[in-house]
Amino acid sequence: MALSSMRGLSVFISDVRNCPNKEQERLRVDKELGNIRTRFKNEKGLTPYEKKKYVWKMLYIYMLGYDVDFGHMEAVSLISAPKYPEKQVGYIVTSCLLNENHDFLRLAINTVRNDIIGRNETFQCLALTMVGNIGGREFAESLAADVQKLLISSSYRPLVRKKAALCLLRLYRKNPDVVNIDGWADRMAQLLDERDLGVLTSSMSLLVALVSNNHEAYWSCLPKCVRVLERLARNQDIPQEYTYYGIPSPWLQVKTMRALQYFPTIEDPNTRRSLFEVLQRILMGTDVVKNVNKNNAAHAVLFEALALVMHLDAEKEMMSQCVALLGKFISVREPNIRYLGLENMTRMLMVAEVQDIIKRHQAQIITSLKDPDISIRRRALDLLYGMCDVSNAKDIVEELLQYLSTADFAMREELSLKAAILAEKFAPDLSWYVDVILQLIDKAGDFVSDDIWFRVVQFVTNNEDLQPYAAAKAREYLDKPAIHETMVKVSSYLLGEFSHLLARRPGSSPKEIFNIIHEKLPTVSTSTIPILLSTYAKILMHTQPPDPELQNQIWAIFNKYESCIDAEIQQRAVEYFALSRKGAALMDILAEMPKFPERQSALIKKAEDAEIDTAEQSAIKLRAQQQTSNALVVTDQCYANGPSPIVPAVGPLTLVKVPSMSGSEEHTAVDQALTQSNGTLTKVDSQPPSDLLGDLLGPLAIEGPPGAAVQSEHSAVTEVEGAPSAVDVAAIVPVGEQTNSVQPIGNINERFNALCLKDSGVLYEDPYIQIGIKAEWQAQHGRLVLFLGNKNTSPLDSVQALILPPAHLKMELSLVPEIIPPRAQVQCPLEVLNLHPSRDVAVLDFSYKFGTNMVNVKLRLPAVLNKFLQPMPVSAEEFFPQWRSLSGPPLKLQEVVRGVRPLPLEEMANLFNSFRLMICPGLDPNPNNLVASATFYSESTRAMLCLIRIETDPADRTQLRMTVASGDPALTFELKEFIKEQLVSIPTAPRGPTTAPPAPPVVQPTSPAMALTDPGAMLAGLL
Amino acid sequence: MIKAVMVINTQGKPRLAKFYDFLTVDKQQELIRSVFGVLCSRAENVSNFMEADSIFGPDSRLVYKHYATLYFVFVFDTCENELAVLDLIQETLDKCFRNVCELDIVFNYSKLHTILDEIVFGGQVLETSSAEIMKAVEEISKLEASSNSITLVPKTVSGWRNR
Repeated sequence: MALSSMRGLSVFISDVRNCPNKEQERLRVDKELGNIRTRFKNEKGLTPYEKKKYVWKMLYIYMLGYDVDFGHMEAVSLISAPKYPEKQVGYIVTSCLLNENHDFLRLAINTVRNDIIGRNETFQCLALTMVGNIGGREFAESLAADVQKLLISSSYRPLVRKKAALCLLRLYRKNPDVVNIDGWADRMAQLLDERDLGVLTSSMSLLVALVSNNHEAYWSCLPKCVRVLERLARNQDIPQEYTYYGIPSPWLQVKTMRALQYFPTIEDPNTRRSLFEVLQRILMGTDVVKNVNKNNAAHAVLFEALALVMHLDAEKEMMSQCVALLGKFISVREPNIRYLGLENMTRMLMVAEVQDIIKRHQAQIITSLKDPDISIRRRALDLLYGMCDVSNAKDIVEELLQYLSTADFAMREELSLKAAILAEKFAPDLSWYVDVILQLIDKAGDFVSDDIWFRVVQFVTNNEDLQPYAAAKAREYLDKPAIHETMVKVSSYLLGEFSHLLARRPGSSPKEIFNIIHEKLPTVSTSTIPILLSTYAKILMHTQPPDPELQNQIWAIFNKYESCIDAEIQQRAVEYFALSRKGAALMDILAEMPKFPERQSALIKKAEDAEIDTAEQSAIKLRAQQQTSNALVVTDQCYANGPSPIVPAVGPLTLVKVPSMSGSEEHTAVDQALTQSNGTLTKVDSQPPSDLLGDLLGPLAIEGPPGAAVQSEHSAVTEVEGAPSAVDVAAIVPVGEQTNSVQPIGNINERFNALCLKDSGVLYEDPYIQIGIKAEWQAQHGRLVLFLGNKNTSPLDSVQALILPPAHLKMELSLVPEIIPPRAQVQCPLEVLNLHPSRDVAVLDFSYKFGTNMVNVKLRLPAVLNKFLQPMPVSAEEFFPQWRSLSGPPLKLQEVVRGVRPLPLEEMANLFNSFRLMICPGLDPNPNNLVASATFYSESTRAMLCLIRIETDPADRTQLRMTVASGDPALTFELKEFIKEQLVSIPTAPRGPTTAPPAPPVVQPTSPAMALTDPGAMLAGLL
Repeated sequence: MIKAVMVINTQGKPRLAKFYDFLTVDKQQELIRSVFGVLCSRAENVSNFMEADSIFGPDSRLVYKHYATLYFVFVFDTCENELAVLDLIQETLDKCFRNVCELDIVFNYSKLHTILDEIVFGGQVLETSSAEIMKAVEEISKLEASSNSITLVPKTVSGWRNR
């Protein structure tokens, strides 16, 4: 009996409780499991009562954290028992122990279905509960129709119907097709007329799930929801047991208001008016009282009403009323309400017109930052972070810094990260930014990631005005008795570069600088020593006229580290030592670091990514995404005034530049720029590496010329926008006017290149849509499926997909629906037939409309030559006769390829394999050569063997000789050209767009790995 | 959607744990441990809300209520209203287990399960009225009692025959 106690179960539980330690407990549990196992095996002697007892024991054991991996079969078979107790046990244990993918469940589907359609209501309840707890696609397909019937038939008791509603919801989650949208909307509307509050509550939950996916279909339910709300608000026909502290079913009120938030707006003026009346009544009629429980119930309703008001774009007056209420809440004593007050105020920030009113509460919010409850402190931090802009950044960041010294450990990391981001986003002037970050490092060095100090270095390098200031600050911090290692890194880097600017100040002669830095050396870790060595080399260089004493001192240090076990340190020591004896050469090589190319901060990017991830799918949030100004990076003007090795980026990719060197008088410009840069920020994604290491490594041009990279991104973007000219877009637009460009997320070229190598992935993504692709290839046939996914809560319309196939491909795209419903994914199969070999690429011309935005993109489809290849191992006996028989042009072509991106032989072999050209090791006696083979399929050539030989020169990896042979002249030529394209620009290297021309010969870092360790390493890398 | 309901005592032992998405035993135990880890460090008279993102993934919320030696914990996503869930714990659980102590819960483990199934169903709230819940639970217990008395007869008979 579930409800009266089972003696055996109680004995077992008390045994377990009496176990003095985990070991004893395990022994007791194992003994019991053994007992249960034997008892189940000799099934004959088990009564239903005993079965139940054992099953509850199993569940108890399961809860204690032991795996119960037997008895599944028994449990499932009990479901089909005719009597209630056994059936009940079967259902309960099945729903606790099994998951939806379990094979045994399939065995039970028929029984479950019979219980659901049978007339026994208790069996129905059992079956519904199990199905609702497990879910499962198969259940959804076979049971949904029956469950629907239970829900809408008024002949069943509310007890059954409310379970049916939630069961249907669970099945719908697993497979949205189970709810037939056409007829179901009307049924749903009828359900909302239900009198029984239990059924109504469950139905409302079901409605929330349905409208969150597709509100269009359920417009008819909207007025009904408002009516339910009115009924509750007026307390009409609400049974006493649903009323708590005089509040009619707070749960249902909350759910109903939640459902209403999934409709984008309410157009019918009457419905809108009635709803606002109810909302007004809730807003005005709720007060903080003494009884905590009543407070919670009343405020649950109130906060939901606030959310709904925000969502409905109420008049400013009502919004201000809401903010006033929230302002009251954040100062009450009740912690829950304070917590939610702060949270909702953060959401309120998205309503532009009340932001200024919220700012008036800044002092109170800062007080909450010191609340004893960490949950509340976190909310306060989030709110401060959200409400920060150029006008209050100084106050807020300084407040955060001050709090940092006393904040508890759990919050320091978040605090310092947020402070760093705010300082960067809203710095009124750069010297303030440097101050803030140095303070951060000083107070919470452990939590300041490399990203942050790299960024400071970057700003200082790019802004000449800032350099003396930063160097002086760094010098000051070095005077402190104990400083964090990160501070040693950043200050020695800065002083190495810029200490000569301080030379005339007291305590800043090269010698003094050297001494104070060198004092720190014994305390730092191996990763910092290389930076210090670089600094010494730079100090040496800047000491004019040379100071023999200092020189000897530094040489001695280099000498000492020449035999260091750490390769990085050793190498630097050796190289700096040799260099510093060369005089003039030292000057050239150790000259000041060039300016960094302008990039979005990795820090801010990370923060933005995180924000996108957690985006709540409500209209409020969507609007916020379109509205909030993702503040731009505090930029430098290196392109404007400094000689720069890099062509300035033009076109829509350029961040709006703020001449921040002129500092504070430019506030308004910052403001304007903020607004203008709206929506154009995602573009930064397409810049090659946006991690900060990349930022720092950028100017070395190791990754290929950035100018070209910019160019190709540029074209990618214009392609996407279908915009006539990039320059138009870049031109200053009046404040407030949004450019309607939709920027792709991620680099389209990279996505295409990746898909050339694999068969499934994302082809294109922007804020509204994601196009995925999945392909299967069989000889000359290909079957691609395009997955068009609408990421929004409103539909995309005028969807058009046109295939522009090249002459050699026959392609057939199935019908693409004109409208993609919200949050839905549409699959469009595309059949491909390869007629003859060619490198031409098919293009998908795709367009859609979102709101007023017309988006048109042209995307290359990865139905490329190598997809029709089949790797084919050949033995020496097969290879050589073939090779010889294909004697010369046009069947066998040879070419010396130059300008190859140098890569080790092994990687080249991998590259070939990834293009389905199978490397056959051992065929060529020369270890520097590669031999590959594959079968190519097309209508004209049928299956055709292709043989490839690559001869590389170990002394010069940038050139190689390639021989391609096959039985078809066109195939030989196309394949040769194809391979050449791949070798000349390696698409697998994610660093630069592939269309970049071959990298000019650059100085290769002597050890590539080390170049990635820190900025100082770049110096060594250049040597 | 409600992701999990837990009852944990102040020593960190689970007294009831129900997860509405399937998780392995190890994962369940890990979650219970991490939840307890955070709960036990919280003072009295603070809010009933806790950040759960680090434990249950983004957009998770956790609401708990501390009664004597027990924590009642609900974990759910952004689709639910925090105060409403707290209200549910207070109103519904409180009324169903009025004046219960930990021992009652330990030894009425199966009963607790049955009651919870009448409150939360597949991650959604099924019923908020404690009267309705108790009605449903009593119905089940009656059914069990009556069918047990019937099935016990053949057992004794067969047991006697086998002798």
